[in-house]
Amino acid sequence: MFKWNILGVLRDRTRSVFPLTVVAVGVALTVVLIGFMDGIIGGMIQSTANLDTGSLRMVNKAYYEEEHLFPMDRALAGQTESGKWLKSHSPEEVTWSARIRWGALLDIPDKEGMTLSQTPIIGTALDLLSSGSEEIHRLQLTESLVQGRLPVSPKEMLVGYQLAETLNLKLGQRATLLGQTFDGALAADNYIIVGFVKFGLTALDKKMALIDLKDAQDSFYMEDIVTDWLGWVPPGFDIEKLELIKNELTDSASDWIKTPPASWSPDDRPIFLTVLDQRGLGAIYKKFKAVRAVIIGVFIFLMILVLWNAGILNGIHRYGELGLRLAMGESHAQISFSLVTEAFAIGIIGAVIGAIVGAGCTLYLQVKGLDMGNNLAQTGLMLNDVVRARLSWRGVWGGMIPGILSGVLGSWVASLAIYKRSTSNLFRELENE
Amino acid sequence: MDETVIRIENVVKTYPVGIEVFKALRGVSLEVKKGAFMSIVGPSGSGKTTLLNLIGGLDTPTEGSIFFYDKKLSHMTRKEMSAYRRDNIGFIFQSYNLLPVYTVYENVLFPLLVMGKREGDVRKSVEDMVARVGLAECANKRPNQLSGGQCQRVAIARALVKRPPIALADEPTANLDAENSRQILELMTELNREMKTVFILSTHDERVSKFVTREVKLEDGMISQDNLMDGLK
Ligand SMILES: Nc1ncnc2c1ncn2[C@@H]1O[C@H](COP(=O)(O)OP(=O)(O)OP(=O)(O)O)[C@@H](O)[C@H]1O
Ligand SMILES: [Mg+2]
Repeated sequence: MFKWNILGVLRDRTRSVFPLTVVAVGVALTVVLIGFMDGIIGGMIQSTANLDTGSLRMVNKAYYEEEHLFPMDRALAGQTESGKWLKSHSPEEVTWSARIRWGALLDIPDKEGMTLSQTPIIGTALDLLSSGSEEIHRLQLTESLVQGRLPVSPKEMLVGYQLAETLNLKLGQRATLLGQTFDGALAADNYIIVGFVKFGLTALDKKMALIDLKDAQDSFYMEDIVTDWLGWVPPGFDIEKLELIKNELTDSASDWIKTPPASWSPDDRPIFLTVLDQRGLGAIYKKFKAVRAVIIGVFIFLMILVLWNAGILNGIHRYGELGLRLAMGESHAQISFSLVTEAFAIGIIGAVIGAIVGAGCTLYLQVKGLDMGNNLAQTGLMLNDVVRARLSWRGVWGGMIPGILSGVLGSWVASLAIYKRSTSNLFRELENE
Repeated sequence: MDETVIRIENVVKTYPVGIEVFKALRGVSLEVKKGAFMSIVGPSGSGKTTLLNLIGGLDTPTEGSIFFYDKKLSHMTRKEMSAYRRDNIGFIFQSYNLLPVYTVYENVLFPLLVMGKREGDVRKSVEDMVARVGLAECANKRPNQLSGGQCQRVAIARALVKRPPIALADEPTANLDAENSRQILELMTELNREMKTVFILSTHDERVSKFVTREVKLEDGMISQDNLMDGLK
């Protein structure tokens, strides 16, 4: 009987090709849709983490509380020791880099060395010079460079291209940073502007300068001191697990501060944050998840409707056969069972095909990305111009399970119709076909 | 005296039509003996199909009872009815109702699969049955490659392959021309004699009369005549 059913499925294309196609297309679309939505939010969070917050961040509590003022004197000393501690107390996937956030006046002198213009800027100091530094790749500096080159020797500076336009900056020009040292004194140091960068974020492109970490430590008298330790996780890492790592770090740190590094001041206390704790991203992420749930829910609902209908149509299409089988003495239960089993088998095969196709497309969108042009740059969020999908098991299951279930449900309903009709009626209808 | 296979006692069958009920059968009593080759004739709407459906366990009477040997059909659960049909009844339809995606051989095999038989065990008897109705050559063809007469032969083979005590044929020749009708009726006569299967045919077709040994006339849901005939000599 099993073989007989298989033969039927294989020979009757309305029983195989059609439902298979519907399931496969539905599942593939859902997988791509989920991957795409995950990619948008994931990309946004990733860019923010890369540019600004890290996936995880360790910062001195006192600094964090007045972060907007760039209180250099509250930065966390003992960079080397902290780095070692972080490495040994966090999971292997996390890579840590030190950065300094700074605010300063950018002073542009004329030929005589007199101030031509002065403007407040914010900046980040990060490892730009050491070979094997991941920061250049992380900030996609090579891609973001609109003019000039990346720093290759000390005291070279990158500035946002809009800032460069406003101040009419030239490549190779000398500029002086006027800022605050770790102990509160005035810091002044000269840099050469070697490149203009465009992140596509007005806030950054108008006000941002990047310098090397060691240069900053030199300019601001911050030897072995940094404002931030930022940790990154590999792409595809479940963002909700960051909270766990953060909590573990916070736990471990409560032991650490019992025997703090010698260079810390008495009230230094490192705190740990995830990317979602910062820049309001947690709230955005929550809303995004809700919207995503609705969109995907609607989509899956539509897919269920279509498949359900396909299942019912298939049942109707086979009315004649079913009536005949009843006449031959198969019980209603046997017939329902074989309909549902068939739908299940078709569902599984279709869902696997759909998942493979969907995962393939998602992967393509993940690797190649989809260029949204400038549309997103204006939103003010840290979105990249290129949106990349993100493939995950959740996305694959999210497509497959409703794909399988809805077909099964559809044929189950169809088989209920057989139950409802009395045998002879089913038969009359069969005769009148 | 031959055993009684089917005994029908005062059967009434009504169908709800809107808010009223329509009496398709109004008190039919009938006994069918082993080996019978009989027809039920009567004008359209007289209740022939209704009666066959009741005998075949596709429907239950509103009043009265039907016995298969000493088993009362109206006492059966739906599951028992399925088993009754499966084990005892072969259906032959006016429009053949062959399954289009299966070959002749597979169509004939099907009722045995429903009975839980394994193909390997019954291949020979299926092939023999296909050959018996003269379609050995066509065993691997699909129904759409066959003529109407050939299709009805497949249907007969399918009904009889499980050697049921009863074969029910509702207007088996209505879709066939005179020559094919004659051949089909001859085939059924032969099988009736070989297998001792009870044949109950419903028909409008006058020509069927010369083949049967008994002719029951239905009119307005009641038996108006019950004649013994000569049958095919
Ligand atoms: N399920 C049903 N619901 C309502 N009325 C029905 C039903 N089945 C049969 N009838 C009615 O019962 C009567 C007898 O029907 P039946 O099909 O038994 O007649 P028949 O003798 O087989 O006619 P025909 O020669 O046209 O096949 C008809 O008037 C038919 O309309
Ligand atoms: Mg009829």
